[in-house]
Order: sequence, then structure tokens, then C-alpha cells
Amino acid sequence: MDSRLVIASRELRSLGQEKTIVLAIAIQVFIAAFSSFLVVGLVAMYDPSTVAGPGTTLGVAGDASEELLEASDAVDVPARRYPSYRDAVDAFRRGEVDAVLDTERDGPVRVTAVAPDASLRTTRIVVQVRRVLQELERTERVERSGGLANDPLPVPEGTRSSPFFDFTYTILIPLLMFLPVFISGSIMSDSLTEEYERGTLDLLRATPASDRNIVEGKMLAYGSIAVVQAAAWIALLHLNGIAVHRPAAILVLVAALSVAVVVLGGAIALTYRDRRRSQLVYSLSVMLLFGVATAAANPFNAVARLAIGTPSTEVYLALAGYVAASAAALLAARRLLGRRGIG
Amino acid sequence: MDWRRVLRIARWEATSGAVDLDRKTVVAIAAIVVALIPVTAFLASGVSTDSGLYRAGVSQDSPYTPAITSSDVFVLGPADGEALRRGEVDLMVTDTVEARSTDKGRAALQAFRDVVRSYNARLMSRESNESAAFPVRVNLLYMERDLRAVVGGGGAADGTGPGGDGGENATSPDGEGEGGENATPSDGEGDRGALDGALGGEQTGLDTPDAIRPPFPFRSLILAFAFVVPMNFVVQVYASSIMDERIGRKGEMLLVSPASRGEIVAGKTLPYLAATVGTAAVIAAAIGGGPLSVAAMLPVALAFISFSFVAGLLARSFKELTFVMVAVSVFLTTYLFVPAVFADIHPVAAISPVTLVVQDLRGAAVPLGDYVFSTLPLYLASGVLFALGTAVYREEDLFTQKPLHGKAMDALQGQMHGRLSVAKLSVLFIPFVFATELLGIAALFALPRAWALPVLLAFVAVVEELFKSVHVYTAVSRRLFDDSRRTALTLGALSGAGFFVGEKLTLISGIVGLNVRVDLGRAVFASLETPLALLLVAPLALHVVTASISALGARRGPRGYALGLFAAILIHFAYNLSVVSLVG
Repeated sequence: MDSRLVIASRELRSLGQEKTIVLAIAIQVFIAAFSSFLVVGLVAMYDPSTVAGPGTTLGVAGDASEELLEASDAVDVPARRYPSYRDAVDAFRRGEVDAVLDTERDGPVRVTAVAPDASLRTTRIVVQVRRVLQELERTERVERSGGLANDPLPVPEGTRSSPFFDFTYTILIPLLMFLPVFISGSIMSDSLTEEYERGTLDLLRATPASDRNIVEGKMLAYGSIAVVQAAAWIALLHLNGIAVHRPAAILVLVAALSVAVVVLGGAIALTYRDRRRSQLVYSLSVMLLFGVATAAANPFNAVARLAIGTPSTEVYLALAGYVAASAAALLAARRLLGRRGIG
Repeated sequence: MDWRRVLRIARWEATSGAVDLDRKTVVAIAAIVVALIPVTAFLASGVSTDSGLYRAGVSQDSPYTPAITSSDVFVLGPADGEALRRGEVDLMVTDTVEARSTDKGRAALQAFRDVVRSYNARLMSRESNESAAFPVRVNLLYMERDLRAVVGGGGAADGTGPGGDGGENATSPDGEGEGGENATPSDGEGDRGALDGALGGEQTGLDTPDAIRPPFPFRSLILAFAFVVPMNFVVQVYASSIMDERIGRKGEMLLVSPASRGEIVAGKTLPYLAATVGTAAVIAAAIGGGPLSVAAMLPVALAFISFSFVAGLLARSFKELTFVMVAVSVFLTTYLFVPAVFADIHPVAAISPVTLVVQDLRGAAVPLGDYVFSTLPLYLASGVLFALGTAVYREEDLFTQKPLHGKAMDALQGQMHGRLSVAKLSVLFIPFVFATELLGIAALFALPRAWALPVLLAFVAVVEELFKSVHVYTAVSRRLFDDSRRTALTLGALSGAGFFVGEKLTLISGIVGLNVRVDLGRAVFASLETPLALLLVAPLALHVVTASISALGARRGPRGYALGLFAAILIHFAYNLSVVSLVG
């Protein structure tokens, strides 16, 4: 037990000395900040009222202009009527309106919608166009309800909810939890291949630590910093007003996955013993590992559900599965190490 | 440079130097790749990110029951009246819907609306009377419009930008030309690449309003990732190879050979450059691009490789190298992505080569000026990095564990052959300054403007002062020229002047469009928009003064340098603040 802790603390100290952990944290902080950039952009797309600036104005023309104006009014999108499609498009080009809706009654109402191409605002504008047209569809269905066997369900009024909430819990938090895990496996592999390539492994083996202790000490070090980083992120998010529920369960999941990943990194490093091949095989293998994990019992979704506060038995079952699988991998690795050694 | 030697070294690198791919490894890699295919296919067919996120209580006779049970977004909870108040459910669904007044409750309501909508769509699709079930059909078209002229308050009345930059075509459904531009007869659908189909933004024929998929706004992010991630694998091997030369003095053999440093570096780099360009070509072909896309990605490959080259030279351990490589990948992806997002404003978007790829996918012709504009900073940066790296590809720096700053200064020293070199280096650093500031904008964009702006201005001051003074510090502290105060001031002035000239060159070539809408971006480049009278004098004075201060500090060693640098940063920050408050 002692030698493993000694080796683990030596590994962690060297990380601190080389300031590489600082770099790792800087990268993660940057990615988090950059995600906020994306999120603000997304919010602006879908909920224009959160962004100061001109809203979307529509230009309508054609047979169903009257109904379109009513529909826009109902969903609070300003609209202007134009005598013809050509006039509306000219206004569009001049920037007076952001989209054009030209209508023709021919059985159903056929709408030609024009939106700006390749603009940051395109998504926002298209979302508004969709809202107006959905409202139009609703009123038209009511008009024609005689012809329907089943009436559509009324869609309840929405409140102003930002997609930020959804994005934070389904994408941002899982990403922040799993990024340290990826990095841990990579530096586990590096720490072993470096010992081989620099020849310091012989020195290490000359110590009282057994071969198995050496590898386990490294795994302990790099597995634990992944969990520590994840815990730090949870704390940081709390400080920023984003509640992360069930942190203990999430950290157990992160721990299980980091065990699996450092075992993988270590196994690869011990097989190939040089950095280039190890890194290449590690990158591919970890992708496969996460792909399989996602296909089997989506860990991203599990983290999302735990963090958002809607866990269920199946999530806990998946968690148990991960812990069991990682424990099995660890035990198998220990047995193999005990038998073969790392010479 | 003897190209035969270069090619020979390249051949060695490619065959035995690169990766020792014995049979065992090849089989392992092949097995993993083969296993990845079905996994990727399975995941691509739909992995739900939001299953089971919210809890809903549904009363027995609620009309919404079939809708809720058809989706997996909601987990069913107790349906009694008090469950909502107790917090056991986020939504209570009876004849109507009631949500908890928390963020989660509101998000749950939004999700519920989506579920009901898709349920309605399925319900209506089973109706026999189609025109009653789907009374509205939409054909969504995308039309280009250039708003620069409108925003700038001038320009042609028909709304085309001055000179119709880039030859963008406007299309209209009836195929007529408008106002003197060329119009393509298609309605804009034909010239979209394969990628667009997957990302929305394309309507084939008539569809219902529900089926409108707004274009994924961050198509450039996908493109940036699509190119950078595969390149990353190749570049990892390259960085390892460079680093390997330093372990156990393995690189000594090549160094003592007749091959020059430049030839060695060129030879070792060539196979990886070929591989990354090849990867880019394969990806470009896969997404429907052409030679222009490959040409646009060439400087990106070069930049990636040059950064990795320097990383491999300076890293002190494998762990450090790993992190630096990750940082480089993230940085490059950001550099590619952020400008391309501002697609409305051509000068800003054109900074990123991804915009060129986007135009290529659309089938638009790109004038040579645009290409040069997008790629020149990257070419220059790569060149500078290779030059700096090659200068330290020698025994004293390869095989020692000198501290990083020592090696960095060695590299800079290698480039200084006279006083004017100081000015030259300041100019050459401009692409790096620029890129770093761009990253700063991206990182701080989301924060409340009140304090994001001062933080950004401070960041800009720090970055610019650092890049203006590092080479001066190297020259002064290592006494490359004589040790007098006058020399230090001269060097500082030269550095500041060089930086100023570089800035103006970029302004002239239009990097900073005068219609930059983004507030923060405007603030960063505000110093270039000062009234004409001050346009030349004030920034020049600023740069010269601040660079001189840090140069004077450098004479007194590292602590003096730190003090001088700090003072310079403060002055620069104060200047930025006053300019921004003047310009508004």
C-alpha cells in the first residue's frame, strides 16, 4: 500500500512542477468559456427577446396575406404587407424585412418562404418564420376541421425558456465531466511510455516497489485527478448558479470511467512501450470505448439526468453496470500485471 | 538547400522513422477502426440526449396521455394534485398543463410543447383528407443579401456591396437576374454541398411548417472539426517524432551529418505535411468540395504542423507535449470557427479559411485577393514558427532540459542579426497577436459587457505589450548589442514602430471591416478607428513609448523587465480605455 501512495504522490508532484496540470485546467476553462459563447449564440437564435437588437420583421404577399398578418400578430412577430412577391423581395434585399412569405391558395396554402442565406441571424429568422406558419396551420386546421377524423391536440402556451438550460445539462455538464477522463488516460499512457523511453523504468524497478505497485500507483494518481477536476467543475457550476443534483452519483460515474480509461491507457502503453504507437492506438481505442459505452448505456445521458435531478432506477442500474465493468477491468489488469510484470 | 538530401531524410522518416508499424500494431489499429464503423452507424441513427430528463404527472383522463407516452423525454410521476407543489413532478398534465415555476419547469414545458407538436404531426399524417390535415405547405429558399452597404449607410441603392465582393450571386425562384448581378437559374438548392443536407438549411420540395429545419448555425464549427480532428492524428505522430530526436541524443546522428538544419527539418516534416494535406483532400472530397477547399486547408495544415514542431522542440516531457498538442488543436479549431460565424460581415468572416471552404461548397468563385487575405496570416505564422524552431534545432537546445524561456529566447536570438531585426520581428508577430486577441473575444463574449469590456481591453494590452517586448528583452538582457541606455531606447522604438507599421498594413488590407457590428470586436480594434488627425500619431506614439519603457526595464534584468512591462501594460490599457470612451 505504501509504495503505491508514494508513487502516486510523486506523479502528482511532477505534474505540478511541470505546470502541465495548469495547462490542462486552462484548456478546460477555455472550452467552458467557449461553450458559453456558443450558448449565448444559441439563445440569441431561438429566443430573440433575450437579445437586444432588431427583431425579425416579415414581408407577406399573395392570396393568404390577411391570414398571415393575423398569424404573425398572434405570435408577436411584426409583419408588413406587400402588393407583390417582387416588391417583398426588393424590400428584403434592402434590409427592410428579414424574410418573405408569398402565399397561393391552391387546395392547401402554398407558401414560398425566403430567408437570408448564411447569416448569423438566419436561424433566428427561420425559427420565427416557422412559428408564424405553425400558427397559420393551426387556424387553417380549425377552419377545415370538418374534414378531420381526429383533432390535433392544442399546443399549450409556452413561457420564455432558454435553450441554455437544456444545453447546459445535456451537453455542457457531461462534456466537462468527461474531458478530464480523456486527458487522464492519455497522460497515464504517456507516463509509462516516458519511463520506457528515457530508461528511468529500471531505476523505478530497483526500488522496493513491485511492478504491480508501480503501475497501480500511476493509475491511482491519474484516475484521482480526473475525479478531483470533475468535483471542481461541479463546485464552480454551483457558484455560478447552475445546480448540479446528485453530485456523489456523478462522481462515482466519473471515477468508474476514469478507472476504465487509465487501465486502457496503461495497458496500451505496456504493450507498445513507445509514445507514438501508444498515443495513436489510445486515441482510437478511447473513441471506440466511449462509442460502445454510449451505445450500451449512454453515460452522457446518465450524467444529464443525474445533474438535472431526474434520476431513475435505470440510470442507477447503468451506473452499477459501469462500476462493475470498471472493477472487473481493474482486477483483470492487476492479475495480468502480477503475472507478467512490466519488464 | 539540397533537395536530394531533404527527400532522402523524408523517405527515412516515412518508412522507418514515423511509426514502427509492425504487424501486431497494424492488426490492432485495423480491428479498432473496423469495430468503430458499426458503432458510429448505430450512434448516427439517433442517440437521444434528452431521454428521461423531466418528470410529469398525467391524470388518467387527460387528452395528452398518448402524446406523453409516445416520447421518452418524460418520466411519469405521481398524478395527484399536490405533486407539483411537492416538487415530485415538473409538469402536471390534465386538460391543460401546469409547470413548476423553476427553470427546470419552464424547460419541461418547452419540451412538452415539442412532444405535442410531433405527436400532432404523426396524428395528422394518418388522416385521409390531406389538405385538411396539412393545410400549409412551405418551400423555403435561401437568398443572399449583402447588408454591408446598408449598415455603412452608403453604397449602392440596390443593396449590393461596393464592388459586389466575392462575386456572390443572388438567386430568385423565377430565375431572373436582379439589378445587374448574375443570377443562377437554380433556386439555390443545387449548389449546396452534401454537408448542408445533414445540417438542415435545405428544403426539397414542399413541406409542412413543422418540418422546417433551421440551418444549424454553426456549420463552420462542424467543418472546422471535420478537418482538424483527423489532421490531429497525423500531427500527434509528427510531434512525437520530433520529441524522440531529443531523447537519448538520438538526433545527434543527423545533426553531425552534412545535412543542414533546414534540410533536416524539411525532410522530417515533408511526409507529415503530405499526409495532412492528403487527409484534407480526402475530407474535402467527402463533403463535396474541390481544389479550392484543399488549397484553403493547406495553410491550416502548415500552421498545425509548425505549432507541433515548436511544441515537440520545447516540451520537457511527454505529458507536457500531450497538453500542448491539445491546446494547439483547440486553439486552431477556435481560430477557424470564430470569424466564420460572422458570415454577415464579409471582412471578418474572411479571416477564417473555413469561409473559403463554405464558398467552395456553394460553388461560388473566389477571387485570389480573398484567398490571400484568408490564408496569409496562417502562412506567415507557420513561416515564423519554422524559422524560430529551426534556429534552435541544435545540440544546446535539443538535448538539454533548459527552461522554456531560455529556449524561446535562443530562438529569438537566432533571428536577430541587426537592430532592424527587432522591428522585423514585431511585424512578424502581428498574426499571433491578432489570433490571440480573437481568442480573447471568443472567450469573453458571453460575459456581461460591463466588465467583459475592461477585461478584454486589459487582455489586449497585455498581449500586445508582451509580443512587442520579448525580443527586445532577449536582445537587451543578452547584450546582443551594446549595453547603453540609448541602444535600449532605440530597440524599443524600433519594436514599437515595427508593430505600428504591421497594424496599419493589416488595416489597409481591410482585415478590420469598418462595419464590425460586434461590440467587443469594435472595442478591440477601436484604436484603429480614431479620428483621422490622430490616426497616425497617437498609436505610433503609444507603441513606441510603451515598447521603450519595457526595453529600459529590460536593462535591469528580469525584475526590471517585469516592472517595465507592467508599466507599459498600464499605459496601454489606459490608452485603450480612453479611446473606447471617446469613440463610444
